[in-house]
Amino acid sequence: MLRKYLKPITMRSMKRWLIAAGLSSLLLSLTVGCSAQNESSPELTIYSGRSEDFIAPFLAAWQDNSGVKLNIRYGDSAELAVQILEEGDNSPADLFLAQDAGSLGAISAAGLFTPIANDVATLIPTKYIAKNREWIGLTARARVFAYDPNKIKTLPLSISDLIKPIYKNQLAIAPTNASFQAFVTAMINSNGIDFSRNWLAAIKANGVKIYAKNSAIVEAIDKGEVSIGLVNHYYIWEVSEALGRELNVINGFFAPGDIGNLINVSGIGILKSSDKVDLAKGLIDFLASSEIQKKFVSDTHEYSLIDNQSAPTGLPTLAEIGSPNVDLGLLKDVKTTQDLLIEVGLL
Amino acid sequence: MQLLNDNEKINELGLYQGQGKLGKRFLSFATAFVITLSMLPLFYLIVRAIQRPFEQTADLLLRDKTFEVVGTTALLVVLVVVLTGIFGLAIASGLHFVELPLKPLLIIPAFLPLAIPSYVFTYTWIALIPGFSGFFAAVFILTLTTLPYVTLACLAGFRRVNSSQIEVARSLGLNYPTTFLRVVLPQIRGHLSGGLLLAGLYSMSDFGAVSLLNVDTLTVTIQNMYRASYDRTAAAVMSLVLIFLSALFVIGDEKIRQKNMKTKVINTLSIRGELIQKLSYQIAIMVIIFTYTLLAVLVPIYVLLTRFISNPIAIKWDMVFSASISTVSVALFGAAIAMVLSIPIGILFSEESTLLTRATNRIILIGHALPGVVIGLALVSFSSRFDLIYQTTFLLAFAYALLFLAKSVATMSSSLAQVPSGAKEVAATLGLSRWAVLKNVVAPISSPGIALGTTLVFLTAMKELPATLMLRPTGFETLATQIWSYAAINRFNEAAPYALILIAIAAIPTFILSRPDQADRIQLSQGFGS
Amino acid sequence: MASIEIKNLDVSLGNKKVLDNLSLNLGSGQIAALLGPSGCGKTTLLRAIAGLLQPTAGTIRFDKQLVSLSSLVLPAHKRKIGYVPQDGALFPHLNVEKNIAFGLDKSSLTKMQIKQIVKEMLALIDLVGFEKRMPNQLSGGQQTRVALARALAVKPAMILLDEPFSALDAQLRIDLRADVIKLLRSQNTTAILVTHDREEALVSADQLALMQNGRIIQQGPPEQVYSSPNSATTAISTGDALVLKARKFSDGKTDYLFSPINLNSSDLETGEVVIRPEEIKISADAAHGMITGQINKIDYYGHDAMISINVADNLLQVRIPGPLDFKVGQKVGLTHVGPIRFFAHS
Repeated sequence: MLRKYLKPITMRSMKRWLIAAGLSSLLLSLTVGCSAQNESSPELTIYSGRSEDFIAPFLAAWQDNSGVKLNIRYGDSAELAVQILEEGDNSPADLFLAQDAGSLGAISAAGLFTPIANDVATLIPTKYIAKNREWIGLTARARVFAYDPNKIKTLPLSISDLIKPIYKNQLAIAPTNASFQAFVTAMINSNGIDFSRNWLAAIKANGVKIYAKNSAIVEAIDKGEVSIGLVNHYYIWEVSEALGRELNVINGFFAPGDIGNLINVSGIGILKSSDKVDLAKGLIDFLASSEIQKKFVSDTHEYSLIDNQSAPTGLPTLAEIGSPNVDLGLLKDVKTTQDLLIEVGLL
Repeated sequence: MQLLNDNEKINELGLYQGQGKLGKRFLSFATAFVITLSMLPLFYLIVRAIQRPFEQTADLLLRDKTFEVVGTTALLVVLVVVLTGIFGLAIASGLHFVELPLKPLLIIPAFLPLAIPSYVFTYTWIALIPGFSGFFAAVFILTLTTLPYVTLACLAGFRRVNSSQIEVARSLGLNYPTTFLRVVLPQIRGHLSGGLLLAGLYSMSDFGAVSLLNVDTLTVTIQNMYRASYDRTAAAVMSLVLIFLSALFVIGDEKIRQKNMKTKVINTLSIRGELIQKLSYQIAIMVIIFTYTLLAVLVPIYVLLTRFISNPIAIKWDMVFSASISTVSVALFGAAIAMVLSIPIGILFSEESTLLTRATNRIILIGHALPGVVIGLALVSFSSRFDLIYQTTFLLAFAYALLFLAKSVATMSSSLAQVPSGAKEVAATLGLSRWAVLKNVVAPISSPGIALGTTLVFLTAMKELPATLMLRPTGFETLATQIWSYAAINRFNEAAPYALILIAIAAIPTFILSRPDQADRIQLSQGFGS
Repeated sequence: MASIEIKNLDVSLGNKKVLDNLSLNLGSGQIAALLGPSGCGKTTLLRAIAGLLQPTAGTIRFDKQLVSLSSLVLPAHKRKIGYVPQDGALFPHLNVEKNIAFGLDKSSLTKMQIKQIVKEMLALIDLVGFEKRMPNQLSGGQQTRVALARALAVKPAMILLDEPFSALDAQLRIDLRADVIKLLRSQNTTAILVTHDREEALVSADQLALMQNGRIIQQGPPEQVYSSPNSATTAISTGDALVLKARKFSDGKTDYLFSPINLNSSDLETGEVVIRPEEIKISADAAHGMITGQINKIDYYGHDAMISINVADNLLQVRIPGPLDFKVGQKVGLTHVGPIRFFAHS
């Protein structure tokens, strides 16, 4: 039976292959060509480090509103940043939308962003905008401790509490994860490297459990493998949606001002190589508008950066959290952090 | 008058030679072009690396961490090579020499893992065993992933061993194992080494599996340098270290092959010997193949299917469909380019082994160990200057061709070498032009091998991720990029249909890959009984 | 050296019965030629004797010792057989010396002993000085000789040669054949030589076994098989033969071309008479002979000539020695001088 399908490869089948390859490439170049032909309607190219699932509906809304066609390239923030660095002045991107301040800082440091005028995104507080206005924050996420309310009765007030015996073998972290590394970087910047080294060594000695991802920590708490874990605030929603059920996990915050409450932002910048700055500004204004910011909170469970916006369901506002005072631009270099994590044996 | 006549003759002769020279010149030019292209990544890395101050480079190279990472990488590669060597030989010899029930059905699972990208492999194993990570997990995954390369190479080698040699050895008092060790193995050294080289280079360049399993290899370090500090010069230095490692490997393989060169096949007359019917062998082989099938085929597919079924979110089938079309067409395009690019090199390789051809071979092979990210960035760096091609499907296909050129060049040159020079000469005396000889003699004999190499490129290109992410046209999604984008936000359930479709599509060329063996068997069994 | 006794051997490959109830005997030290058209199962028989395949029925004995009973077989490596396949099958990765020493038992022989044996073998096959050559540096004849030496080096109980000379040109073939036969006789080796060359079979063997469709159809000393074939088919397979329609009466008289009998009797067998070309005498005098014919064609070979002669509707081929003075078109007289071999239709 099978032999019928397993005919030896002949010259003719080779030819068929070639023809198929040729036709498909023709087809492809045609479709690519089509999009280029439509020069009448304006276009913008965005490199997005924010995942399609979260951001696509918002960008689609603007596309419908403005009539500007968006070409969106999704990828990992850091990798897209390196790609932009490599493209330099030749980058086809008009805008870079990044998951974290670090990637934006890298582009800014290479001088590839153009400053954004003062009349753009007026509602965003200046502390979430780069000092030279080369990028603007759009949404925020908070570092939290996710925990099982049935098991953790005494909540930690500071990250230093986590080295206490009551949390022995209870705590989970994801040291390879960028957001955990950002947190450690912030800790090094504000509390010093010795403090950070001691803290990391102490949680290790206290039996910290290592996971590959934030979501894996949340799942592990839900399953009862661990009781408490350091994650970003929105992972409970993410895991719950992916599993299609409620979880036995809730978010907790440290005392206001504790480094454990680090707020990191996603943001956007306009590339110097873009010749469509006005269109780009329009998009940033749209994303920073009060209406869209509200939708970020309700749909993606992120924090809005605009003052007096409500927090995601069931969570305190940014003001109530009391984020530590950290220059987000400094979070771009996590080299020292990684070396430290390696030194204490967590990486 | 006489003089004039002679001159005329010389002219005629000169014209003919001129044509030959022209062909040769074109070949050399085309080869130089392809070599230049395949050296782009190396060139890029050197440019980036020398931008780094010398002391910093020295510091980077001499720090403990570097030695540790190089050690981890080397150990990982060595273990994978040893394990794939043992099991690849076992599976291939079982499939070739031992009488097994339903053999065509056994061949398929031996190759099907080629259709599964290593990152998908790793995801499924992590999903199955929480906490599955670390060095030995990586050895395990990479062994499963690269085993088919070795099996495939060994099978090709076995087919070249004349079975009457085996019969002679048996009649001289050797049992099966000693016959295998003394007669078969020495003759397939070159093939085995080639397969192990592919497996080793793959393990060296793999990023997906090692990063998910938290193993600090060179590729992970390189990636971390980009991600942690956007440090392209440090990453370039480490990439050069990786190139150095792979060069050692490539040269080692070359030494083995050179030894094997001496043992040219002296005749091609071969009857297929009796298949071994020893029960103990049959059981051992079946156990190995079944275990491999379980670990490398059934587990991933089982996990993906359960994820797929338990997924509560509606699947966007139109997206799945368009991603499939994109994946197949651009990979096909890339495979076609790889085939065309490897023709001049293949012809040169098949005709002579000079310093130049060997150097070319090295360059092409060494590039094989670079992680896709590095080659992607190198191409970004060069091609972003050209608006017309940057981020087009053409560039992406071209990148695939460069990434996997080694695969198609290797098969191209060995298939062209199969064409007996006598046949070419006879055809020429029969009045066929060079072109006609190529078309009527060379192409029919070598096309199965060439198609095999092209299929291999097609298969690998479909699974490629890092370069695809960088070089695809904006908005162009392949199955691999879709799997990545769902997995990146932990939506494994939603990634599952894409992974399943990718495996299903990649299974088709995998069947083709296992096919020549089948064809050989049919052909040979007809030659029985004379 | 061992004798071979094969009884009622059946071998099937796939669904095809390749050896069918085959029997063969060979005394110790004898050389047998196995002659038959290609596809008749010669190689298969050889491989069955070597233990390289599994018969479905029958027995094979070496020196009365059972080595194969139905599908139970002594594995090849325990049979002590020298096997020289069609292409020699030298190991391409080993040089001449190592090829010859390949089967020698390294645990029971010292290095010096092995070296000595290789040296003797090289002398035997007249390739001294070729120790370090690789197989692809040897000519076809040299390869065959090395393959033979490799087989002989282990002092096998018998040696099986599968058309070892088929790839060689005529003169080399004759010379090498003579050498090999001499070699085998000097070692007193039992040997089976597979061939489809009639001359080779007749010249080389003590015993000639004719094979057809998986059976031995006649076995005996070459002269006997040649001169007393047991059927028209065997006659044809050992040499040129004229096959003439014939009738044999119950009184022993035979009606055939050379002695026509015009008698209608029901008491007869129909069949054929087989005549060798050299058994017909030809005379320039058309009246001098049993019958008259006309020369149609002359093929001159130097040492002899083959003359085709029309007799009635038959075309007879007659071999005559040396110089001749016949012409095409000439009428000649023909006499049958040999035995009248009549084979009835079954």
